[in-house]
Amino acid sequence: MESLSPAQAREHIEMVDRILTRSERSLRVGGEFFLVWGLVGTSVTLAFQLIIDGRIPSWALWVLPLFFAAAILFSVLRGRQLGKCSEGLPLIQREFFAVLWISLGVAFFADAFGFHIFTTWASSAVWNIAAAIVLFFIAVHGNRRALVCGIIVLVSVAAANFLPTITGYVLAAGMLFGYAGFGLISLTSRD
Amino acid sequence: MDDLLLSKIRLGVIAELLDAEWIAFSDLQQATQTTNGNLGAHLAKLVDAGYVAEEKVFVARRPQTRYRLTKTGRAAFVEHVRAMQRLLEKESAS
Repeated sequence: MESLSPAQAREHIEMVDRILTRSERSLRVGGEFFLVWGLVGTSVTLAFQLIIDGRIPSWALWVLPLFFAAAILFSVLRGRQLGKCSEGLPLIQREFFAVLWISLGVAFFADAFGFHIFTTWASSAVWNIAAAIVLFFIAVHGNRRALVCGIIVLVSVAAANFLPTITGYVLAAGMLFGYAGFGLISLTSRD
Repeated sequence: MDDLLLSKIRLGVIAELLDAEWIAFSDLQQATQTTNGNLGAHLAKLVDAGYVAEEKVFVARRPQTRYRLTKTGRAAFVEHVRAMQRLLEKESAS
């Protein structure tokens, strides 16, 4: 049976290490989308809670469509930019983007056209659940940060369920620390 | 150690597939910096051993061959890396 010398074994292990480090980097995708949509989701939920608590006037709600418009504009422009080089992206990254867009689209559709069903906090919870699904999808491909962040988002939904007076704050915190936080970590840890 | 993974190219292929669902032949070729024929021969050995699964699909109406790591391949890789680590530990201890 053939075998390796210690020098060859070291060389092989170093190669494996390099490949795995590169693979982990390729899992860090779309940090900017997570950050932008995480902040939009947080601001919407937070605004509703602050209005309910009487801390800000109700006309402040009119600012929120501007946030949505800005996030959509950013997503379209950045998406186009990435689309130009999508052929060069590994299959896994293309799948991440597909899940990201589908979840955002479904959550947005539910919010825009299901407002009789998803009333009050249900609408915010839809966004949190969509966020958790995306994070868990990334997590099953070996990204531990996504797993932790997905758990944070999901726990916020469960916790909000038992905290009726501060439901909005809890859901907003989940979105901020889980979804936007994942985006921020992905961006700042990029080599 | 696993005889099949003593080859640096085959070990590299398995490492590339470790975190991925499916990887196209062209992407593997780019990652491993090998020729078509060379990579094809190495992949055939990995497929025959059941370490890697092969699938032919159409992407944008063009045929594409893609690969995925199997459970057997993952277990063999883990055991092989452990064996290499043990070898290095033994060397540093002596």
